[in-house]
Amino acid sequence: MPRTLRRAIVTLALIGLMIALEFGFERVVTDAAWRQLALAAMVNIIVALSLNVINGMAGQFSIGHAGFVGVGAYTGAVVASNIHIWLFIHHRTESAPLFQNSFLVMPIVLLSAGAMAGIFGFVVGLPSLRLKGDYLAIVTLGFAEIFRLVIATAQTGGDAGGGISGALATLGGQNGYGGPDVRTILTTVTDPEVTARLNTYENGGVPQYAGPFWIFGAVVVVALIAWRLKFSGWGRALRALREDEIASAAVGVDPTRYKVTSFVIAAVGAGVAGGLLASMRDGNPTIQPDQFTFNTSFDAITMVILGGSGSVTGAIFGGVFVTFTVKMIEQLQGLESVQALKVQFPSLDLNALRMVVYAAVLITLMILRPEGLFGERELFKKARTKKSPSSNDTPDKPVATPVPEPAKPEAT
Amino acid sequence: MSAYREDDAAQKTTSSVPVLDLRGVTKTFGGLRAVSDVTFSVPERSIFGLIGPNGAGKTTLFNLITGVYKADSGSIRFRTTDLGPLKPAQIARVGVARTFQNIRLFGQLTVLENVLIACEHKRKAHLLSALLRTELFYRDEEEMKNRALELLAIFDLDKMADEVSTSLSYGNQRRLEIARAMMLDPKLLLLDEPAAGMNYGEAEGLKTQIRWLRDRFELTVVLVEHNMQVVMGVCEDLHVLDHGETIAHGPPELVRKHPKVLAAYLGEDADEALDAEAEAAAHAGQGAEEGDSAAPETTELT
Ligand SMILES: Nc1ncnc2c1ncn2[C@@H]1O[C@H](COP(=O)(O)OP(=O)(O)OP(=O)(O)O)[C@@H](O)[C@H]1O
Ligand SMILES: [Mg+2]
Repeated sequence: MPRTLRRAIVTLALIGLMIALEFGFERVVTDAAWRQLALAAMVNIIVALSLNVINGMAGQFSIGHAGFVGVGAYTGAVVASNIHIWLFIHHRTESAPLFQNSFLVMPIVLLSAGAMAGIFGFVVGLPSLRLKGDYLAIVTLGFAEIFRLVIATAQTGGDAGGGISGALATLGGQNGYGGPDVRTILTTVTDPEVTARLNTYENGGVPQYAGPFWIFGAVVVVALIAWRLKFSGWGRALRALREDEIASAAVGVDPTRYKVTSFVIAAVGAGVAGGLLASMRDGNPTIQPDQFTFNTSFDAITMVILGGSGSVTGAIFGGVFVTFTVKMIEQLQGLESVQALKVQFPSLDLNALRMVVYAAVLITLMILRPEGLFGERELFKKARTKKSPSSNDTPDKPVATPVPEPAKPEAT
Repeated sequence: MSAYREDDAAQKTTSSVPVLDLRGVTKTFGGLRAVSDVTFSVPERSIFGLIGPNGAGKTTLFNLITGVYKADSGSIRFRTTDLGPLKPAQIARVGVARTFQNIRLFGQLTVLENVLIACEHKRKAHLLSALLRTELFYRDEEEMKNRALELLAIFDLDKMADEVSTSLSYGNQRRLEIARAMMLDPKLLLLDEPAAGMNYGEAEGLKTQIRWLRDRFELTVVLVEHNMQVVMGVCEDLHVLDHGETIAHGPPELVRKHPKVLAAYLGEDADEALDAEAEAAAHAGQGAEEGDSAAPETTELT
């Protein structure tokens, strides 16, 4: 079993590398801002890779990817903080998240975030993908905005009432979510020991369990999945579907099924990215609705299109590139000369300007190189010789091309 | 090989269920009755011709059978299966394959990939298996590839397996479409003008190929074709449509003499069609081919 052996070795080596990163990352990248930027780039790669499944591979235009990232982020944040408090009470862990506990917390966070986003994806995707035309774009855009606004405008503070509005209120509305309110938990606790313990809890927001180990690890796993999806029969069927839906259906490929599956996979990926985002050590232990505006969706689209729709390596490149340009512009905002300009022109907003620049870049790209920088190609794709596979050397029966048989004219 | 007539006769007596059975099928587009109350059945392992002038509704009928359109009324059965409620992909999976009048290949896919798509639904290894790259996944892929290459060899396309399908010649594209349809392992093959754009020799090759496919894969073939050389040479039964309505039905010898057919369809180019026929017969003289029923008929008619 050389293949199995090789895989086991590679897996172990990767896990070793991730653990080394978890503890060595601070030493490799000493500047905290750069560390955060690198981690943010990794999460964006996952966002881009997942969007690439539906926008690039399946060719269906989804422009509300931020909505699914948001669903994953809120789900992940709620799950992580509750497990964290449970651990704090019952296992007497510290208020700060521990690496060894992340092996309990992160799998549950990522699974629940992915699953929740996947469910939303299915509900949103099924009706809109059954219809022909560009309904998906409108529906996804609507979904993302509704999701964000429902959370942002939820009545918080005081008595929001029970049921859905009560549940929404716990998500913190416009101010964001930073873990459950310990005071509310205290009201439901009867055990004096638990009460005493909870009173010592220092709420540090959403616990930051996702260190370099989980974030780099997730990128590797997601990239591998994306790659294997693309280079499987399933990916091939998606390409066929993009070429010609009627012909695909005529050879047994059900367009709706493939599109909905792609959309759900994309949503799950976005959810996972959201789950990581919520638990990421980025100096912001809360989740705000404003993180999931249309700008986020637009950035995701830029990442996919820039690198080349359908290209896995292209999406990775796009994710990194967009993250860094965003950061660069933030840095520029801080420059004194820009600040001085801002005094003169109060409405100057470089971030808004970035949108203009991206749009211009995208339009230029559409004109000069419609397939994106990489096209659908991959950076290091081995040239596949699909020549006659291993055994089976007899070319069988290539009969009937000339006019072979001596037919007797049938006299009737 | 030449015994297919007897085979056919035997089949007819053993299985009473026709492969394809249409009853009162009607389809309107706005005010236009594209297919109007069409009824016919296609016996097992026959080669059945569906002819008629331009706009007669032949392609629309194919689209109805394969579920691209839904009939307004009437029933379409494949053996015992009612195709009415099925989606196109499901109809393909029960064994109804087709080609398209305006070739619909997956342009950017290679020749091999085009054919592989048609057995994607038969894959034993599913998505999870593909993600884990299990042994089953590789074995599956290997088997599918081998089958596809075998099929391509039949159509002499195996040497261009890695070429992008748009780079093929027109004739090869038509044959690739048939190869792709055959990869479904169909029981019923619907061919929409397979001889379009073919020269005399290619059309002769096509005739042999259609018969050979029928015998080799125990197929039933429904053929839409304007090329009379092919239609008269290969079809055992004809159904003639004009403006969506049935105007004649029967064996070619009878249909071609039917006054309505002569008026509506052969009217304008009857001479042309019959000339082609005579020419075919002449060629067949030395090639010892194409005797079947056409040659004697031609002399009779002229
Ligand atoms: N989707 C559609 N919408 C409206 N009208 C249609 C549609 N499809 C076909 N028709 C009309 O239905 C009639 C039958 O068309 P169809 O394509 O079935 O003819 P055909 O027999 O295949 O002709 P040809 O030999 O030229 O291919 C034509 O008048 C055509 O314009
Ligand atoms: Mg037609």
